[in-house]
Amino acid sequence: MPDHSVSQAAELHEGMPVVVVTGEIDLAVAPSLRESLTELLAAGHCNIFVDLIDATFLDSIALGVLVGALEQCREAGGDLKLLVTEPRILRVLEITGLSATFSIHSSRDEVSSSNSNGGLRERLEEASQQ
Amino acid sequence: MMEPAGDALIQEDHELIELSFPAHPDLVVLARFAAATVAARAGFDVEEIEDLRLAVDELFVSLGPMTRNACVRIELDRRGDTVSIVSSFEGVTARSAMERAMGQQDETWEKAAELSELLLDSLVDEHGRETRSGGPVAWLSKRRSFAQ
Repeated sequence: MPDHSVSQAAELHEGMPVVVVTGEIDLAVAPSLRESLTELLAAGHCNIFVDLIDATFLDSIALGVLVGALEQCREAGGDLKLLVTEPRILRVLEITGLSATFSIHSSRDEVSSSNSNGGLRERLEEASQQ
Repeated sequence: MMEPAGDALIQEDHELIELSFPAHPDLVVLARFAAATVAARAGFDVEEIEDLRLAVDELFVSLGPMTRNACVRIELDRRGDTVSIVSSFEGVTARSAMERAMGQQDETWEKAAELSELLLDSLVDEHGRETRSGGPVAWLSKRRSFAQ
């Protein structure tokens, strides 16, 4: 069976609902991600946290879903933040120019302590060297 | 499901693998698996194999939403240190299964198509999309980076 999932954590982080995405996020999984984000937006959440720590693959359809949700969040005065440490996903974000668009963090604690993309530049450089 | 095209093509420096499966997003993983296998046989390193796995996925984005009752056909051609992949749909007549799954989310596909182009530009040496026999065909070619 495919090793992937999209789940919405029951708890909030810094007041933001968390969507946890694991495994390979592709054509097959993107609809679940979109559904989860759409539900949160419909419920009035405009600040959303997407945890991609355990995601291992992200294609352009999944990116398109994230970009669409980001636009809706920002139109409503909020933001969609990503938690990413996987070098290949960081590289995909860099190639597509989205590393400058999203607020990207390496841990939930980092989100708590800073609103900046702390350490992102260093991690992108590491990812590009691999 | 996956079989060599013919004994004559099973040579050390040339292999042609043809794969056909129902056009359903859940099955795209088969194309990624096949691409990774062929890339490994061409001597690609781990990063190059991962690049090709993502690139073959992006070929399906290039083709557009998958269509119910259609089949995906993919040809993986390894010649020495170069892998060429051609993907196409067969029997494209019905509404897209992917569109049904995602609702009428054409905007997502538009965004994805732009991003996919950027990814393919970076991941492979050559890629393109054209129409053959009335249907869309997407292709790519990637050579092992340290090849002489």
